[in-house]
Amino acid sequence: MPTGLELVRARPILVGPVEATFPLRPGDRPLVALGEAVVRGAPLADRVRDPRTEVVTGRIEPGAAEPGAYWAPPPGRRRAAVETARGELLFRSGGRWRIGTGEHHELLEAPFPGIVREVRPGIGIRLHSPAKGILGREVLGRPTSGRLEVLAPRDREVRASEIDVGGAGAILVVGAHIDAEAITRARAVGVRGIVVAALGVKERRDVLASEKRGQAAVHGLPPFAIFVLDGAVRRPIASPVMAVLEHLAGRAVAIVANPPCLVIDDPDAELPPPEPDIVRVVAGPLVGAEGRWVGLAGPSRFAGGVVLEAGLVRFAGRPPVAVPLGDLERFV
Amino acid sequence: MTRALSALAVVDTGAATTSVALLGRPGERWRLLGSLAAPAGVEEDDLLAVLASRIRVADAPLAEAVGLGPAGLGALPRLASRSAPPRNLVVIGASRRSVALLEAVAARTAWQVEGASTETHDPREMSELALRSDVSAVLVAAGDPPGPDERAALDDLAGLVAAVARRRPELRVILGGSIRGRRTWTEGFGTDAAGDPDRILGAPAIGPRKPPDEGLRSVLDGLLADPLDGRRALRASATSLADLLDRRIELLEVGHDGGTRVVAAPGAAGDDPTSAAVMTARGALVPPDPDDALVDQVLAWTTGSLDRHRMGDRLRELRAIPWSDPAGDGARLRLAAGRAALARVAAVTPDLSALLAPDLTIIAGGCFAAAPARAIALAVADTIRRTGATQLATDPARLLGPIGTIEDPAERRALLADIAGDLLVPLGSVVLAGGLGARRTDANVGQLTLDHDGVATRHELTAGELAILDLAPGVPALATFEFRGTARVVRRARRVAVPVTGGLAGLLVDLRDIPLRLPERRDRRRALLAAWAALAWPGDDR
Repeated sequence: MPTGLELVRARPILVGPVEATFPLRPGDRPLVALGEAVVRGAPLADRVRDPRTEVVTGRIEPGAAEPGAYWAPPPGRRRAAVETARGELLFRSGGRWRIGTGEHHELLEAPFPGIVREVRPGIGIRLHSPAKGILGREVLGRPTSGRLEVLAPRDREVRASEIDVGGAGAILVVGAHIDAEAITRARAVGVRGIVVAALGVKERRDVLASEKRGQAAVHGLPPFAIFVLDGAVRRPIASPVMAVLEHLAGRAVAIVANPPCLVIDDPDAELPPPEPDIVRVVAGPLVGAEGRWVGLAGPSRFAGGVVLEAGLVRFAGRPPVAVPLGDLERFV
Repeated sequence: MTRALSALAVVDTGAATTSVALLGRPGERWRLLGSLAAPAGVEEDDLLAVLASRIRVADAPLAEAVGLGPAGLGALPRLASRSAPPRNLVVIGASRRSVALLEAVAARTAWQVEGASTETHDPREMSELALRSDVSAVLVAAGDPPGPDERAALDDLAGLVAAVARRRPELRVILGGSIRGRRTWTEGFGTDAAGDPDRILGAPAIGPRKPPDEGLRSVLDGLLADPLDGRRALRASATSLADLLDRRIELLEVGHDGGTRVVAAPGAAGDDPTSAAVMTARGALVPPDPDDALVDQVLAWTTGSLDRHRMGDRLRELRAIPWSDPAGDGARLRLAAGRAALARVAAVTPDLSALLAPDLTIIAGGCFAAAPARAIALAVADTIRRTGATQLATDPARLLGPIGTIEDPAERRALLADIAGDLLVPLGSVVLAGGLGARRTDANVGQLTLDHDGVATRHELTAGELAILDLAPGVPALATFEFRGTARVVRRARRVAVPVTGGLAGLLVDLRDIPLRLPERRDRRRALLAAWAALAWPGDDR
């Protein structure tokens, strides 16, 4: 490793194995068991889109009366079935059980194959896979999967007019930024996910509102997720990450939120390693710029009269520039 | 123990940055040899190696005398503290009123708090909140006897929390008031309704008029006990320092996941020193998932042209990569967020604000680590507003946290006695005067005479003025205020003389309103803030 580079924060491009958690809410019904192997698309849970509390009017058998258990009215008792929905037992008070239930349901499908490591009704399901993944900053939306398509270079922004039905079922890499209109269009034409370097607060708010409306709609919406690699302020996708994404074009990938990760559904995929002396500026006036590490610059004075530990970086063959160590990242 | 050593590595592993310092004892006392910080995630051994090599280059005989050779660094004894990760507490009550009382108490702890009452959430939503895997503890309490707004829902709440406790054996549950005695709790939790005493804890009931402050706070704080927690250790360090320097000390810290305010006083007549401290998650530089209210709080302290969306973007970035963008515009944004955080700390510590101004105020935390001295002094004067004079200092090598983890007070005091002069960097002094009454903004209200080194300099005081006067670091001076009418500095009088000490920022004289009132109109507020900022960021044209 070049001298002093160890003081720059390392960003791993690929992590693995992947262990993803899918949160469940009271009322959701797990459909898998501990240790079960699942394939991509297999149902993990039956989720309630409009959860609510109800009071069970009928009697519950003592053996089934356990918080977290799924309860359904006994067969043959039509009156009770009409009066009370089925759902997850929450708690008992005043001699009657409360359940979490709802009218509209949707399936939570496994976005990648794996082994179920934990099932906790009302809390979550944990799925393990030997696959590798690219860690990001955050994921908005629901777990999804599809083939990866690179729609734009790493430093460009995609407009709504550039997204068409050819992207249906795909996860699109859209470069540095995407606006709310393009996200809406992507969703409308059946795109399953977006990979973007940065997503601003405004777009974030629009996506969350759209997701909420979709949940409230009678038929719901297919799973869709936005995988944000870096943060909220516009910048290009890091070139070592982009190299991996370009290498994966055409292959199946998945997006999961916890941890925020793009799962590469091929443990044997050979992916290009990053160059050890490449560093990238993550914040400040040079945000997104990449260069080669020269060495430590020591304490240096920057704008605003601030003295900070800095490193010397050569950008595009120009003379080295001092950049605060906190503004740099390297790739491993 | 430390007396037998010749070198010591001090490591403070924060949520945003890791700081290392090397202490050496070439002679009879310990000295700070140097310090270095880098973003969290950088190995402390790598930082120590770079720091030691710099010390060897700067002063090879000293490095050799204390044994800072390249080979022995790994075996160097270490004094370490760390930032405990934030933990989430769900507060459940039978009414909005009771939840608000409980939240007010929990806000004075390091817990991230989320509240739910039967008036705002349905039972399924409350179960969902408490079952969330990132929630570490649930607090449910009621009055004893329960208030009229609580009675109807108490059985449901007890049953709900009992069911959640059964489903999540790792969850801590704090039961206040009569909850433990409810039949739904005993039936719902199972045969052993008392439960594991380390997991199911009791707390005082909610009082009819005031919150159950100290009892409940100590229960909540006890759940977060960590002997290596640097934020918690600040209290021990501040207490030892107050005793050592024989001065009343206030310590203000703003960190990534919370803030701290400690007030310590030396022991009188042979008594031990005393201290009061509040650690609050609300004092985080940027709390998780910054919302519109936070954006507005920070915007209120900015002079730039960021709109709310762009400010939201910047705050999200600051939360996600807190070590980044520490210079230029980023430094100003950081200080604006720091002011908002200090204001939140002050809001949850009115009892500490009501005390007399301390002799020494120590500013700690990554937010202020690299900021210019005058900007730090102004940020403190903007937010911690109480009349009187105080000296300001920082702990740039971040030693107070790790030193606070030394359990033996005598040993801690001995180490502090050696390095107190190296540890604190004087920023200067701040004098706040109040009670000047409503006057024209340009009215002359008196005169300040600053006597130091046999020289007297005079400064005409105008109403609402903020002035920074040059006073070299460490230089003691006497500031004599002569007002046209009476004003409050240390006491209410027309003529007041206070001893002050110089620093990197000089002497800050503040005659602005207490509490600070800023214009409602955004353009006027920005113009006023820009005028004040021009004093703190000289040479910056913004």
